[in-house]
Amino acid sequence: MSPSPASLRTPLGRVRFLGAAQSGVTDAWLMRLTSLALVPLTIGFVWIILDVVNRDYNGVRAGLSHPLPAIVLLAFIVAGVVHMEIGMRSIIVDYLGGRARGWALLANACFSAVLALACVYATLRLAFT
Amino acid sequence: MPTSASSRTRPRPLSPHLSIYRVTITMAMSIAHRIAGAALYAGVLLLAWFLIAASSDAAGFGAFSAFIGSFLGQFILFGFTWALFHHLLGGVRHLICDEGYGMDAPLREQLAWATLIGAIALTIAVWAIAYVAR
Repeated sequence: MSPSPASLRTPLGRVRFLGAAQSGVTDAWLMRLTSLALVPLTIGFVWIILDVVNRDYNGVRAGLSHPLPAIVLLAFIVAGVVHMEIGMRSIIVDYLGGRARGWALLANACFSAVLALACVYATLRLAFT
Repeated sequence: MPTSASSRTRPRPLSPHLSIYRVTITMAMSIAHRIAGAALYAGVLLLAWFLIAASSDAAGFGAFSAFIGSFLGQFILFGFTWALFHHLLGGVRHLICDEGYGMDAPLREQLAWATLIGAIALTIAVWAIAYVAR
């Protein structure tokens, strides 16, 4: 054992980088943060959809291009995609192992990133054109 | 601990899992929360399609409108609405439990039932509003 009282990690563990990476609570914290944010944002999202659900093309565009719906939509998309990426990641590591886990995590990250970019781009395009 | 061949032929003891326990409402709502979350993960594609269609031309939006107005589209949208409210209420229940409240026998069961019934009620209410406002 190392004589240093500041760490309980063994020298071998330190060499192999085993042990806590000091980032273990990030996902748990982000999940709670986005959960709390998504409670009002989901209500806002449902409100926006109910407002435009029976409109035609021009009506939908007019409804979604107002600043407040656009901002709520953007916040809903960003918080929602962070939330669903972590959520699907925890499902993957619960049920999959080996190489399938790696590919699934890669697909999850790519799907989430593309989805976020597509939704944010479309919302901004609606707001500014 | 014996390491002979005879001990190795016996199946390893497994911790009790889903098939062992009696089904409870809290357990059912726990897995329903995950299933609803996974359904929303796929269902968000519908939101992406809607936003992209609305931000493109009228023909693109018409294709989306035709799909969402069809029986299959309405069925998927109804399922999406239910999953959204179920996951929302389940999430609120989890936040309450994370804070250490509602863990006792009557309240935790009531909260789980409230998730199930509340989500169905909210889904029907929102669809009723959408149809009445038409």
